[in-house]
Amino acid sequence: MNTRGKHLVAGVASLAVMALALAGCGSTSASSSSGSKDEKVEITYLHRLPDKEGMTKVDEIVKKWNAANPNIQVKATKYAGEASNMMKKLEADVKAGTAPDLAQLGYAEVPEAFTKGVLEDVTAEADQYKKDFSAGAYSLMQLNGKTFGLPQDGGPLVYYYNEAAFKELGIDVPKTQDELLASAQKAAAAGKYIMSFQADEAGNMLTGLAGASSPWYTVKSDKWNVNTNTDGSKAVADVFQKMIDAKSAFVNPRWEPSFDAALKDGKLIGTVGAAWEAPLIMDSAGGGESTWKVAQLGDWFGNKGKTGPDGGSGVVALKGTKHKAEAMKFLDWFNTQVEDLTTQGLIVSATTATAKTPDAWSKFYGGQDVMKELVAANNNMGDFNFIPGYSAVGAAMKETAAKAADGSGKVADIFSVAQTTSVDTLKNLKLSVAE
Amino acid sequence: MTAQKHTQKKVRGFSTKRQNITGWAFMTPFAVLFSFVFILPIGWAIYSSFFREISEGGGAYGGGELVHKFVGLDNFIYAATSDKFWTGVGRVVLYTVIQVPFMIISALALAMLIDSYIVKHVTGFRLGYFLPFAIPGVVASLIWVYLYNGQISPIAKGLAALGIPVNFYSGNIVLLSMANITTWTYTGYNMLIFLAALQAIPHDLYEAARIDGANGFQIAMQVKLPSVRGAALLAMLLSIVGTIQLFNEPQIMQIADPGISKSYTPMMMALNTSQGSITPSGDGPASAIAIVMAIIAGLLAMVYIMAERKVNES
Repeated sequence: MNTRGKHLVAGVASLAVMALALAGCGSTSASSSSGSKDEKVEITYLHRLPDKEGMTKVDEIVKKWNAANPNIQVKATKYAGEASNMMKKLEADVKAGTAPDLAQLGYAEVPEAFTKGVLEDVTAEADQYKKDFSAGAYSLMQLNGKTFGLPQDGGPLVYYYNEAAFKELGIDVPKTQDELLASAQKAAAAGKYIMSFQADEAGNMLTGLAGASSPWYTVKSDKWNVNTNTDGSKAVADVFQKMIDAKSAFVNPRWEPSFDAALKDGKLIGTVGAAWEAPLIMDSAGGGESTWKVAQLGDWFGNKGKTGPDGGSGVVALKGTKHKAEAMKFLDWFNTQVEDLTTQGLIVSATTATAKTPDAWSKFYGGQDVMKELVAANNNMGDFNFIPGYSAVGAAMKETAAKAADGSGKVADIFSVAQTTSVDTLKNLKLSVAE
Repeated sequence: MTAQKHTQKKVRGFSTKRQNITGWAFMTPFAVLFSFVFILPIGWAIYSSFFREISEGGGAYGGGELVHKFVGLDNFIYAATSDKFWTGVGRVVLYTVIQVPFMIISALALAMLIDSYIVKHVTGFRLGYFLPFAIPGVVASLIWVYLYNGQISPIAKGLAALGIPVNFYSGNIVLLSMANITTWTYTGYNMLIFLAALQAIPHDLYEAARIDGANGFQIAMQVKLPSVRGAALLAMLLSIVGTIQLFNEPQIMQIADPGISKSYTPMMMALNTSQGSITPSGDGPASAIAIVMAIIAGLLAMVYIMAERKVNES
């Protein structure tokens, strides 16, 4: 019996240890609310900026604000997961009442977030800051005439190319569709590529390229009109199909290691990319000094010199935030920290200051004022907006693009899949679609 | 004497009770955690599979709020009639049929080899074969993404140099590429199950067989092999349940091959439905997919057990 008693004691002790350990786990997560002496307000902000080495970290920027504004203390947290999982988290957080006050969302996600009940209407609080941002970007934070946050950066599509390699081949940045096809052919004959077809980015890049000419989604009398087979889409499909058939485009997923390898070994000497890819292409191609350049898109897809959006984000107010005015005050300040945000690789939507090209960039891009070129593209975007649930459309386009890449499908299929998926998505969300 | 017996009985009754309490006390942490992280989520999944999140109020953007609406069996009907779902099921079943027997036979062969007296330094081999299992599935998949890359991989380059150009990501080969990762990871694990079973066989049996004039090979085939049938059943069942839930490999290999769709396997389809990249989206349809898949996995395991029993009886 004595030994049994010991067993029991041991059992209880181990239980107690477990309970302690559990309590220890719990206490760390429940410590965000600070004492409310004075009229101190705490704002939480969930971002997904890169925060890499050599950039001005978000925490450092926020520290400046906190020092100057003792009554509006901001706590910024980087979302560690994949961007595509963040919406799900916000949805759950809003339901549980633990959502942050502010969160970064891609422009394509804003309509979806609204439909899912994640956004807070801040029309009144945000209006006074409208003048600080480009009109196009500001409108991407609006739905139905209501504003839900402030824009941060834009992702216009531009053309990246290696000037010296182009000269060697005796070609220039193509201006028309015919020139593009001819130059690509010439480069391919020399084992080089001046264009890439990236199946994994199809839902972003091809949409942006088609969107340069005309929008896919319009709202008429509170109903969605969906047309993803616009003339722009047809032109994009036609050009890429020709290049894939003629093997004059580099067909490779963007985020697979061999894409970077092709940039590095000089096989890929030109590609369409989003503005935020400027530092990425620089890193992939090896950095240092080079003869790469940034140019505007040519009139390749009937886009008449316009470009389209690929990425870019704003910061939204989340449902349940108690400090709308303070949150917008901070956000306006944060999103206009042009110099600091530029180090994060952003092409800012703020118009309060001119963004300077970081030194490393101008070295790599042969002394070019890259930021000026990117800002020019940012101000030259066609009108394009997204539907709630666009992520399902993008995913379906990506799958179809992979078939076009390996030859088992056509590029045009990507846009017809976009049409059916868009309509299905809207219907499944029980939104109105005009047929 | 009777009195003594009586007290003894009483003491025993008391101590049994104490023992029960101690048992339950030890059981509690497990029971609490088990119900929190296992039973509760399953219950919640079953509950939410009868609901769908939809917007109310219509219009272009809806009312700015999703409504939790009871939809009866709609989600199950959707899962059961979805082409994507059944294509995914077909894919994992094919995967299981190819991969599991290959892996189990290799594991058994390795275990037999290590258990025989031919191999010296058993610890080294045992550890070596088991090591891939210690690498998390996601990390293993990432490593293989590089090893399969046509322009970087030493394997692809080596094969190309031999005049055999292989694209590990092309249409039908990609499934085999994934099977290779799974085999690489789990063969060592299954080998350990077999090895444990082999080493539990009483050595008298070997001695008896040897006296009867059996050689090493005969002992392996006629004494060892029948004795590990139980272990084989366990290993097969675990593997079938595991491969039916194939997720890590295709999810990671998507980076390199956009052709691996969001609904490539039923488990990927469930996740992506819940995250909104497949429509209809939300936890309701996602839970329904997961539940239907669990039922299919259960049925397959049952079919296997019954088939095994039949074979053993005959």
